[in-house]
Amino acid sequence: MAEGEQPDAPAEGEPPVQPPAEAPASPPERPARAEREAKAPVKEPPPPGSIADLFAQALPGVSLDAYQGLSSVIIEIGRDDIPKVMPVARDDPRLDLKFLRCLFGVDHQDEGLEVVYQLLSLDKGHEVTLKTRLSQDDAKVPSVASLWKAADWHERETRDMFGIHFEGHPHLLPLLLPEDMTDHFPLRKDNPLAEIAEWQGDFLGGDAAAAADEEVEE
Amino acid sequence: MVTERELETVELNINMGPQHPSTHGVFRMVITVDGERIVDVEPHIGYMHRGGEKLSETMDFRQAIGYQDRTDYLAQFLNEQAYCMAVEKLIGLEVPERSEYIRLILCELNRVTSHLMFIGAFGIDLGFFGTSFTYAFRERERIQDIFEEVSGDRLMYGYFRPGGVVWDVPDNFVQRVREVLPYTKQGMRDLDLLLTENEVLIARSRGIGAMSAERAINWGLSGPMLRASGVPWDLRKDQPYSLYDRFEFSIPVGEYGDVYDRYLVRLAEVHQSIAIVEQAIDQLPDGPIMPEKMPRKLRAPVAEVYAAVEGARGEYGIYIVSKGGDKPYRLKIRSPSFCNLSALKEMTVGNYVADAVAILGSVDIVLCDVDR
Repeated sequence: MAEGEQPDAPAEGEPPVQPPAEAPASPPERPARAEREAKAPVKEPPPPGSIADLFAQALPGVSLDAYQGLSSVIIEIGRDDIPKVMPVARDDPRLDLKFLRCLFGVDHQDEGLEVVYQLLSLDKGHEVTLKTRLSQDDAKVPSVASLWKAADWHERETRDMFGIHFEGHPHLLPLLLPEDMTDHFPLRKDNPLAEIAEWQGDFLGGDAAAAADEEVEE
Repeated sequence: MVTERELETVELNINMGPQHPSTHGVFRMVITVDGERIVDVEPHIGYMHRGGEKLSETMDFRQAIGYQDRTDYLAQFLNEQAYCMAVEKLIGLEVPERSEYIRLILCELNRVTSHLMFIGAFGIDLGFFGTSFTYAFRERERIQDIFEEVSGDRLMYGYFRPGGVVWDVPDNFVQRVREVLPYTKQGMRDLDLLLTENEVLIARSRGIGAMSAERAINWGLSGPMLRASGVPWDLRKDQPYSLYDRFEFSIPVGEYGDVYDRYLVRLAEVHQSIAIVEQAIDQLPDGPIMPEKMPRKLRAPVAEVYAAVEGARGEYGIYIVSKGGDKPYRLKIRSPSFCNLSALKEMTVGNYVADAVAILGSVDIVLCDVDR
């Protein structure tokens, strides 16, 4: 009996489905807004006297693309310059970046993979974020584990998650993933969490989210 | 007559974990010993890896807060603080003063509970059976009650939000904190008298697993591990965030960087945290807890941001790569336990096998924080 009632309910509930069709005015605005927000920001040059100048002084002749990030100066370097740049960054008395805060990968899909190095000087109190781009097909980068021992596990984790090979690492074995999982890289964007995306689409996406978007809480 | 060949020693592999009471979670290490001396240690982690960084990419900025509680589950408020700071920096939210104070008080109390957990468990690791643990847990429980009254949950608080906190603290919050602090101080005195001058503890921890300042920095150690090696680096002082520049407190440092110094540094840090809470609770202002004009859906610009707090175990940092929209494109958790544990081999090789437990205990790892 209850089964018979259930098909009736959606039939009665058909009228409430109509209101979204009445409001086509708001959806066209949303892509425009998203586009506006997604526009790449202008890369502002770092302020004079920042750590980017020290890098330029310590490494003449190396191409350093420096700009000001939200939390530190970001310097993009070529992959081939890493063996040149990193020992200077650590040992040059002007830079003195003895502390490797973190090292990780980012998958930019068509724009390749990125390795990010966050360096810090405990004595001078300054910090910098170094980045290097790799292509998906040639995901190799020289290891810095011999300079900063802290990089040892970070590089192993990045290999696990992104399949980036760190050349010269003493034992680049799976760390967080099972020992036999050497060809699956979970944090790459071509391994999406599809089920969660679907779940979110049903319960949190759609019209309710669109309506909530424009509202402002007092 | 014994020939030299018959006296030859054979190296032995000892497997410890993943189910072992001294590993503080699901952690395995294979120790190679030559007699009683450790010649090699191979840590195996990843048993608790739940892919939190990947999960965060599919959640909007508020949904991922709950995940932060589940990394370092003994210092949840500190993790939430790091995450919320990163989102606030990214979006450009200004946190009202009252919320900053509430957060700071809860973070420092959380540091106290976390260190109490360490001191209790450390005693067990070194052979005090339950005494230190029950002493520490008695006091931890009192503070835990305040957290429950504030957030409604005992462990997974989910109380901080980008921009402030989810709701205001109960009316008797100030009174409750003032009530509990004398008990905490008395509890710390009890633990101090039980452990600090204890012959067993000193014999088992002094001069063991020492790291020089230079090596500690090179291995990326942070928090009490780094300070025990004599490096006075504390983000609350050196890169002040929140309102830490308004309070008087000192940074305890060790001298030798051994297991005993790590214990002493944490013991002293508890007193500093209590001092900060006492100052902050007197100044707690009235006012809103969320900024005005708070958007219902948080949308981030195309930018990258890093925010870090001085967690109970060290620097807990969040790096967000945003490509616009309401979700992070990539979220990286720089967890202190991961970096501190990576130096385990460096600390244990050359020591006796019995000291491996003491050294592992002194790292104060949380395996969920290691694996994320």
